[in-house]
This record gives sequence, C-alpha cells and structure tokens, in this order.
Amino acid sequence: MKKVTSARIAQLLFLALFLVLFLMTEYRGSDRIVAAVNGFFRANPLTAASTMLATRQYQPLLLPGLLVLLCALFLGRFFCGWICPLGTILDLITGRIRKVGALRALTGRAKYWLLLPLLTASLLGVNLAGLLDPIALLLRALTFFFHPLVGDTVRGGWRSLYGVVGDRRDLLDPGYRLIRDYLLPFRETLYPLAFLSALLFVLILFLERYERRAWCRRLCPLGTLLGLLSRLGPLRRTPAKLCADCRACREHCPTSFDQELLQTEECILCMECALHCPSRRVDFGWRARQPQTGPVLERRVFLGGLLGGVALARGFRFREPTAQAKLLRPPGVRDEDEFLKKCVRCGECMKVCLRSALYPAFFQAGAEGLYTPLLVPRLGYCEYNCTLCGQVCPTGAIPDLPREEKQRQVIGKAVFDKNHCLPFAKRIDCIVCEEHCPIPGKAIRSERVELTGFDGARRTVQQPYVVDELCNGCGICENVCPLEGKAAIEVFRVKDRTPLKSPSGGTPPPGHPYADPYQGGRS
Amino acid sequence: MERRQFIKVLGLSSLFLHGWLRNLFAAQGPVVAVAQGTDHAGITRKALLALGGMQRFVKPGQTVVVKPNIGWDRAPEYAATTNPVVVRALVEECLKAGAKRVKVFDRTCNDPRRCYASSGIEAALKGMKNVEVKHLEEERFKNVALNGKVLKEWELYGEALSADVYINVPIAKHHGLSRLTLGMKNVMGIMGGNRGSIHKNIDQALADINASFRPHLTVIDATRILTAHGPQGGNLADVKVLNQVIASTDIVAADAYATTLFGLKPADIAVTRSAYQRGLGEMNLDRMRIVRV
Repeated sequence: MKKVTSARIAQLLFLALFLVLFLMTEYRGSDRIVAAVNGFFRANPLTAASTMLATRQYQPLLLPGLLVLLCALFLGRFFCGWICPLGTILDLITGRIRKVGALRALTGRAKYWLLLPLLTASLLGVNLAGLLDPIALLLRALTFFFHPLVGDTVRGGWRSLYGVVGDRRDLLDPGYRLIRDYLLPFRETLYPLAFLSALLFVLILFLERYERRAWCRRLCPLGTLLGLLSRLGPLRRTPAKLCADCRACREHCPTSFDQELLQTEECILCMECALHCPSRRVDFGWRARQPQTGPVLERRVFLGGLLGGVALARGFRFREPTAQAKLLRPPGVRDEDEFLKKCVRCGECMKVCLRSALYPAFFQAGAEGLYTPLLVPRLGYCEYNCTLCGQVCPTGAIPDLPREEKQRQVIGKAVFDKNHCLPFAKRIDCIVCEEHCPIPGKAIRSERVELTGFDGARRTVQQPYVVDELCNGCGICENVCPLEGKAAIEVFRVKDRTPLKSPSGGTPPPGHPYADPYQGGRS
Repeated sequence: MERRQFIKVLGLSSLFLHGWLRNLFAAQGPVVAVAQGTDHAGITRKALLALGGMQRFVKPGQTVVVKPNIGWDRAPEYAATTNPVVVRALVEECLKAGAKRVKVFDRTCNDPRRCYASSGIEAALKGMKNVEVKHLEEERFKNVALNGKVLKEWELYGEALSADVYINVPIAKHHGLSRLTLGMKNVMGIMGGNRGSIHKNIDQALADINASFRPHLTVIDATRILTAHGPQGGNLADVKVLNQVIASTDIVAADAYATTLFGLKPADIAVTRSAYQRGLGEMNLDRMRIVRV
C-alpha cells in the first residue's frame, strides 16, 4: 500500500468539509444556516489581514484568521499543505500533468509584487485581496460556473426525460429529489463573470504544467503572506540542505527543493520528504538559530509594492455615474466605502441568495468593485423574511441582522416610470407591484382615478404610488412588473440608507400625507 | 288547463304560497355549506358532510389535487395563506374516501421553499402516506386552449389537468385590485407564464380560466380572513378570526357567500359578476341553499 502522510489525510478531510459546507450554503428550510463555507474565510489569514488593514480595526469575526496567522509563525505554511482546498485540488491533479519546467517570469519576486500592492491597497481602504485569494477563487469558480453548470445539466436531463416518458417519470422522483435537494443549486442562475471565474481557476490548473504547486509557490498571496511569517519563525527542517549522498527530497518535495537549500517560505509542510527519507534523517523542529537565506524583500520590491498598492487603490476609482443609480448593495449595507473595505468578494452572499438577486459586479462599481455583490431586481428581489446573506458574509460587510431589523434596512427606493406603467401610460389596471409589496402597511399604494380610456370609455383605474417612508427597496415590485424587459417601477440607489423608522407594520401615523386608500372599502 | 287559467292559478298561489314557492326554487340552486366553530378540522369535515361527504367527490383509486393558497411567505396567523389545519383535514378525508394519491401544491409568489415552510402546510402534511407536497416543475405546464374573451390560451399545470378530482381551497382575503381573492382567483395558482399580465383585465381573464378549468369542489377557508393590505397582509390588526369554512361545488356561489363576510355584496366583486354573467355559477344569495352547520 502507498504510504500516506497525515498531511494528505487532513487535506482530503478539509476538501470534503469545504465541499459539504459549500453545499450547505443554501436555504434548507430553516431561517438560520447552521454551517456555511464562511468558516474557511473567517479562518483565512489573508482575509483577516487585508480586512483589518482596510478597516483599521480589530474584527472579531476574523479572529480565527488571526490565529492561523499567528500559528504560521510557529508552523509555517501548514495551511497550504494541510488545509487549503485549492492546494488539495492541485495535488490531486498534478500527477496527470506533464511538467515542462518553471516559467521564468514567475520565478523571481512576482509573488511579492502581488501581495504587497494588495495589502497596501487595503491600508488605503480598498480591500482587493479577495480577488486573488485562493479560497475565494475556488469558491467563485464553483458558485458562478461549475455548480450552476452541474445543476443545469442534471435538471435539463430531468426535464427532457419528462418529454420522453411523461408522468411515468414520477417513479424516479424520490431518487431525483435526493440529488436535487442535496447536490444541485435550487435554481439555475446564470451569473455574469461566470466565464472569468472559471478561466482564473483553469489558469491556476494550467500553471501546474510548469511545476508542481506553481500557483502556491509563485503567486498565491495567501501563501506568500504565510511564507513571510514562517521565515521569521523558529520552525526549521533538518537537514536544511539536500544531502549529498541522496538528494531524493528533490523528487518528493512539491515546492521548495529545486535549489540546494530548502526555501522555508515555500515549504508547505506536506511531510513527503520525512515520509520517504530512506535514512530517516529528516526532522522538523523549532530551532533558535536560523540558516541565512538572503533578504526576503529587496528595498526595490518593497517600495515598488507600496507604490503598486497606491496605484491600485487610487487608480481605479472611476465610476460610470449612470451605473451608480442602479448600484444596489445587499440589505444592511449603508455605506459604500465601508462596504469596499470589508467585502472580500468571496461570492457566498450570491451563492446563498434565496431569490438569486445578487450578482457579481463587473465594472458597475468601478474596477475596484469587481466581484462585489449587486442586487439586480429584474432578476431577483430581496426576500422580505430572509436574512441569509448577512449570515454567511464572513467579514460582516453585510451585517448579520435579526429579521425585523433586516426588513427595515433600505437598499434603495422604488420609483415609477409613468411613461411605461400601464395605469398611466395605457390607462388600464395592473397593480401587480402593490400586490407583491411585502411591507405590511404597503409601500406601494394606489388611488382610484376616474378617467377616459384611450378607447373613449369612462372608467376607474387604480394608479400606484410609492410611500418613500415605507419603501425598503427590496425590488420585488421591479421584479414582478409584468412589462417586458424594462420594468415600469425601478429601485434606485439612495445615499441616505437610514433604516425605516417605525416597525413597518401598522397604519401610518395620523397626519401622514398619504391616506390609506383601503380604509373606505373595509368592512 | 288553458294558458290563461294556468297563469291565474300561478299568480294566486304565489300570493298564498309565497314563502313555499321561493323555497322550492331555492332548493334547486347550489348548496353552500357554511360550518362554524373553533375546531377548524372539525368544521371542515362538517362542511364536507353537508355536501354529502368526500366520498361524493373522491372514488377509490383516484388521484386528487388539493390546491390551497401557499402564495406568500407568511405564517398562517397572518391569513395570507390557507389554514394548514383545513388543508390537512381535507387531505385526510380524501385518503379516507380511498384516494390513491393526494397532491398539494401552488405556484407561489415568494420563494416556494419559504412559502411551503412558513405557511405550515408542508409541515402539516409531512409524513402522510400517498400525499405529495411538491414545488411546481416548469416542464409540467401544458398549453390549454381557453378560447375565452381575453385569454385565447394559457399554460396550466399538468398535474391539475390530469387529476381525477380537483379541490380548490382558497383563503378569503382582501386584494388590492380585485378587492377580494377567493375561489376563482385561487385557480391562478395553476397558471404558468406571466400571470401579472392578466391583471389588466382580471375579471374577464379569471372567468375565461374558470370557464375552462372547473374545480369539483371549492372549500373556502374563512377561519381567519385578511381584511386589508392583501393579498399578503403581514399585520395581525388586519386579520379577523371568523372560524368559518365554506364549501360548495359551485365556485361562484361559494365566492358570493364569502364576499358577505367582508360586508360586501357579491356584485361588488367584478370577478364574481363576470363569472355569473357567463353562467359559471350562482351569485344571488337568495337563489342558493345556504346550509349552516
């Protein structure tokens, strides 16, 4: 039997855990989600570092990430070799990929040129680390591309089966239900950036062509951060060099033994060398005296990285003003700058969104807002009683609020377009928006207006209006507006997102400018 | 007897037998069973019994669809969805009558998972044998020729069309456009496509659907009714507890009676009026037999 390191067992367990948590990041009949994949981000040191730098504040939600960072001082890059699901996937497939030798462009200080600008940009208030965070990369590829693809394929097959066998398909229903309920996304959502997300992931796999764990060694900002710390720490392998009489480590080591000396900041503690050492010489331990391996960061790289960060944080701030009008953030997000500091673009809110209302931004929020979540009401609305996005957000960029409080959060305000709205433009009845408005006192109301229709007949038509004081911008009105394409009512972003005052139930206070149109018709 | 004489006799007898004649005519109208009581399962059964019991509708081995209103993500207390106790009682009666399979579903407005859960209907029917509580599957909608006044054709749900018995179980509540939503509007739950677009002509459109697709039995849940801010509600102050269940084979008659619970006349509701004018059922209260149990 092949010998297996405990690192490999841990890797497989964490990958399985990651996938299970990924599937659990979905509504399953309970208002609260028991466990979600956000645990991986809360324990992610890069997320913790970049978010705390950006907010310049301690974030209790990210304490596990800080602890992992601290552990890296003593345990090196154990995260990469024992936990990181992306690393595990690379380890699983790398055996099948023929190697052509390291890519020269990546062998230098490329990874520091990535990490430093990202961290500096964080310090300047733009948290971009999530764009290249390995776990976020993996999760986005799964959420936006692979999972919907699987769902679409299976469901498509199930549908066409109905075309062939009709109602006899019911015999297979129990089996299909199991697959559907536990493995498939609830609905097939097409995400923008699906292709880009898949491409980045495949690119990382492609890098395996050059050397094992090429991404982890040469680029990954999370690994680089842990590597920096591990150099400072006391954990060292003995012998530190390849032994003159054997040199077998060269073959076994996935990352750091293409030089004579072990590269501490690249060692992922996979323990393969220890397991396979024919003379059992290899030992990992804490040692006070460290072998010198040259400077990590030349001044050139350090200063360049800082400048790069400034450029990143300040160079991509342009925002198309017209796109801002429809830039709706998830419920509870009240300040755009604050949001950009905390959002790590992991995609979990979009994965969990009950009505598939959240989508990754491309350039709507400027280049700096790439992959941040946007509410697109025409595709899905914010479900009144749902609080899932806040529950899964690993950093609290979307706050986890109790239901009543979330219902009062203002996403935007609905506005009618009377040139399209049927009761105005065509003088006929509709009122689908009012019917769907979830606010108990109705933020969309209507008044009965007597008018002459375009056919010349006198008639009463119900013309809707919005009560701004009650509208939380959930977008269901825009979603259900029966017009094709553009809706006649749209939710627009507002600067002042102070939560609605009164708990939204009940009738408006006396002296309220809008009379309740129903009071006359009641029994 | 000559014609003249006959008319005379008829005219005279109407003077003496005024009440009796009216009763005779009323007896030929549809029966509307109205049961009252705080035991909501019990009154559902009583109302059914007044119509002859479930075995009148469901024969052994048949497939039954029980179609409540599960449209909104609201708890039953808010009277936006059909009372799960009423639904369960009906399902039990169907099974007792020998139904092979009972299917319960609705095309929801809010997220179906949340609606099925919050309405309490999924939980109420959980674990019952031969009972299916499923979300709708798009591929099961079938285009049906309605040849109506405003709707020529529409997609209706295949499982509703193929069922041997279809039982319509709406909740009586306020609605912003049609004033009330009752039995005839509840049939919208088996409509596919862009349902919002029929709102511009909702009374005629609903008459078109109901003329083509006719439930065998309509049971209106008026245990709680929503009197304002419908059809979703959300405020307990808008809910009135009436502890009533109304059952009839005549959907228009059931709707007409339920309208009175809101202090309105059947003719106030355009949907009822249109259906009556099309001959889909009776809306005059004095021409139906209201059986109170």
